[in-house]
Amino acid sequence: MSVSEIALAEGQTTGGCSAEFRRGLAASTPMLLGIIPYALVLGAQAAQKGLSVAEVPLMTGLNFAGGSEFAAIQLWTSPPHILLIAAITLLVNSRHFLMGAALAPFIRHLPKRQVFPALFLMCDESWAVALADAQGRAAAGMRPAFSLPFYLAAGLSVYLAWVAFTACGAALGPALGDVEKYGFAMAFPAVFLVLLRGMWKGFAAARPWLVSLMVAALTYLVVPGAWYVAAGALSGLVAAWFLAGET
Amino acid sequence: MIDPMTVLAILAMAGVTYLTRIGGYVVLKNRALSPRATAVMEAAPGCVLISVIAPDFVSKNPADLAALAITLLAATRLSMPPTVVIGVASAGVLRWLMG
Repeated sequence: MSVSEIALAEGQTTGGCSAEFRRGLAASTPMLLGIIPYALVLGAQAAQKGLSVAEVPLMTGLNFAGGSEFAAIQLWTSPPHILLIAAITLLVNSRHFLMGAALAPFIRHLPKRQVFPALFLMCDESWAVALADAQGRAAAGMRPAFSLPFYLAAGLSVYLAWVAFTACGAALGPALGDVEKYGFAMAFPAVFLVLLRGMWKGFAAARPWLVSLMVAALTYLVVPGAWYVAAGALSGLVAAWFLAGET
Repeated sequence: MIDPMTVLAILAMAGVTYLTRIGGYVVLKNRALSPRATAVMEAAPGCVLISVIAPDFVSKNPADLAALAITLLAATRLSMPPTVVIGVASAGVLRWLMG
């Protein structure tokens, strides 16, 4: 079953599938501003490491997880060290376990034949907007809270932009110069900060976030590599566990 | 154009990444959580989001830190599109000014 068929099947139960799909496109559009420059940079870096214009979209289209692709490209050799690359991919993407776990209560009612293909499109951006949307709809009493067409639209637009513009980056290569210097990198924290505000339930509930922020920042400063995401996220969870016990 | 070892490495990455994507769902889909575990899972999305952007809070570039402060302020009162535009524009302008 293709993803578009999934979108259609779900639309019959929520009503207004195409309206939900368009809502997902609208929610993901501002993020493309941040994704496209990153995609061009990744493609150009991969081309420098010797990947061809066909191999770059093969990687970004099958793996579709930008952070792990940047990390893999930094470590890329010819021939590539496959175990090292698989291990670093696991490390960078281990946050997906938590993301899927947070999504689980919202997608539990969906059939597995829809969930397993749909989870392929779970990236930071599609997950964050779809989860924030589902939380908002749940708070407003809407059932089902999770809108599959909304999520698929956000995931597909990020996916297509990522694959297309990493390929462009590989083709254009060094002609791009340093696109990072124009400030597009700020799109990513901007999106995440708005989403965090949407999840805000007062300072007490946000204390684990503060722990995550401090531990992740400290880890980033002292430990090389991508450990800071795992260290920050896990220490926030430990803090949440202890704080939940104090009441 | 396509090197077999490169394809193997890409397939290894893709397999590992897909397992991380389905792992959390597979483990939790049929499980009822205790209240304490529920509290932990409610904090998890924010913990992941803030950890991913934590390096921006300790940037060595003063222009980026100032832009982040402006973006944070914008995020507390505006919706997504204007916040993104303000964030990107302030980072671009401040980098140019503070160079």
